[in-house]
Amino acid sequence: MEFLLENILNLVGFLVGLAIGIMAYIGFRNTGSPTLFRLTIAFVSISLGFFVIWSGYMVEDFLIKSGSIERSIQTVGIIIQTIGYFFIAFSHSIKSFFPKSNYFRSVGILPFFLVSTVQLEHIFRSISFILLVYGAIETMLSYRDNKNKGAISVSIGLALLAIGEFLGWYSFVFPESILYPISMIIKISGLIALFIPVSKVPLKKIKFDDDLDKI
Amino acid sequence: MGEYRTQMKIIGDILSTTRDDLQDENGATVTYLIRKANISHSRISTLLKTLVSQGLLEQADSQGSNRYKISQSGREFLQAYNSFTKFADNFGLNI
Repeated sequence: MEFLLENILNLVGFLVGLAIGIMAYIGFRNTGSPTLFRLTIAFVSISLGFFVIWSGYMVEDFLIKSGSIERSIQTVGIIIQTIGYFFIAFSHSIKSFFPKSNYFRSVGILPFFLVSTVQLEHIFRSISFILLVYGAIETMLSYRDNKNKGAISVSIGLALLAIGEFLGWYSFVFPESILYPISMIIKISGLIALFIPVSKVPLKKIKFDDDLDKI
Repeated sequence: MGEYRTQMKIIGDILSTTRDDLQDENGATVTYLIRKANISHSRISTLLKTLVSQGLLEQADSQGSNRYKISQSGREFLQAYNSFTKFADNFGLNI
């Protein structure tokens, strides 16, 4: 059951992320907008992160057959996804993400050499959670200005991904409980909510035009 | 306080004016565009030069003044701009 849900989640995540990433890239090529460039990086990273984890499960299932996915592969996938979530939050103008103090800068990199991959996974899940909550709140606030109903759906999608991420992280406290499958179902729902408004954007008759790149 | 407009939004406003809101068939004058797009003379001069050089606007000399009309490339750009503005709106962002 858990294996099946993991596969569905990672496949849906890969496809939804790729679809949105390609749409953002077409937009960037046509308009040269830096916002669309950041969204391209964000969703290609999210898609790649899901793909890495999905590949890990596939390799485990068909080749290694050890019964559980290699922890380091899962961690790498989560780190790549976190980069994507960072770029979504960054598009909403996170200006002080990195610490300004020299002391914090100097020690900031140290934990990466001191912790195991399991702890790294916890760290990046919690960072993802914060970035997703930030993105969800900013997107919801934007609804006040543009009254675009799609923003509500994207906001709910990001919020569901955040809740799923939190439950996934919390399930380490209660392994073998129902928390982890629930977290995956919530994340799948979040990805679908994210894709619904984007799928309605009319893209007909839009073509690549290299001459427009310099605008 | 007025709403902050990105460079892209200002370009979109200029192109929309030259497509949908022309004074006459000869095109829009700089003064008319300044009023419609709500932008300073120095800034619009630079933007108009860029838009003409990129082929998004066509420049014509009519009745002793420069007039601007949207080109076919400009129409395609504007269509893409409108579509992706909606796309970015869904994420609560401006392009």
